[in-house]
Amino acid sequence: MVITDKERVRRLISLPEAKPHWAQLLRGGKVAIVGMGGLGNASSLYLAAQGVGHLTLIDPDEVAAHNLGRQILFGPADVGRPKVEACRRTLQFIAPDAVIETKTMTVTRDNYEMLLSGYDVIVDGLDNWDARVLLNLFSIHHHVPVVFAGAIGYEAQIYVVNGGKPCMQCLFGEEGYEDQDCALMGVLGPVAGMAGTVQAQEVLKILLNTGEVLQERIWTYDAYRNVSRVVRFTPRPQCSACGGNFEYGR
Amino acid sequence: MRLIINGETRELEGIESIKDMLDSLGVDHQTVAVMVNGEIIGRADFVSRPVQDHDAIEIVRFVGGG
Repeated sequence: MVITDKERVRRLISLPEAKPHWAQLLRGGKVAIVGMGGLGNASSLYLAAQGVGHLTLIDPDEVAAHNLGRQILFGPADVGRPKVEACRRTLQFIAPDAVIETKTMTVTRDNYEMLLSGYDVIVDGLDNWDARVLLNLFSIHHHVPVVFAGAIGYEAQIYVVNGGKPCMQCLFGEEGYEDQDCALMGVLGPVAGMAGTVQAQEVLKILLNTGEVLQERIWTYDAYRNVSRVVRFTPRPQCSACGGNFEYGR
Repeated sequence: MRLIINGETRELEGIESIKDMLDSLGVDHQTVAVMVNGEIIGRADFVSRPVQDHDAIEIVRFVGGG
């Protein structure tokens, strides 16, 4: 059965502030998702379902059995397959007309400029500090919004860096953080899914230019205690990434 | 000293700096961002940055998993 763009977004464009061209905006949207773990699975699912026309999935890993509890695009038969290919299969089932590009690659300092160029929004589905720093730098240098998130244990957080001040390193500094391994710390599957879903929500708001984006604010959620907070943050003048010494385009 | 930490009023004694406050709360200061009255304080300044009665402090733990 062929589903038209108009049919797919019918409930979206029933929103009070919806514009007639929203379906076209989504169809023309290009989004890169870096990391196809719990965050990337959930965000890509909603972005494809809602009608975003072009998704690029970036991840070097293969599906492992312990991913299945929270990485909901995969099934048991996918274990051992590249994550990006297994994701593409499911997303293409949900959204046959979407262009789903895959890159079985790690984002590094040598390739991030090339890998991240040409997108309207970038989604952080990463699990390490160093690669997040590269996404942050790319956002600052190229004024491309990055929707950051993290999920571990019972905790999640989401925030948007929209081309610079304040940036991720205004908030979390220069020194870096030890990688938090889900194998050691555990993670409640739906918590990662919720964070990825909120990322998709922020991407859609950016593409549609509607609502208040989670910028200059970080949303944190503790599922164990059922406590959420939205904390405002401002640029940090000493920030080495976007602060006092930053020159645009350097 | 009375501080408003993550929206809740807390009474902490013997606190002079952010580092003291985090130690008193049992928070590893290598894992968090701290804002005092809306101003982000770099981790390098946790030792030197004083806290004062009635400061509003937000502590946000970096959550890195994906």
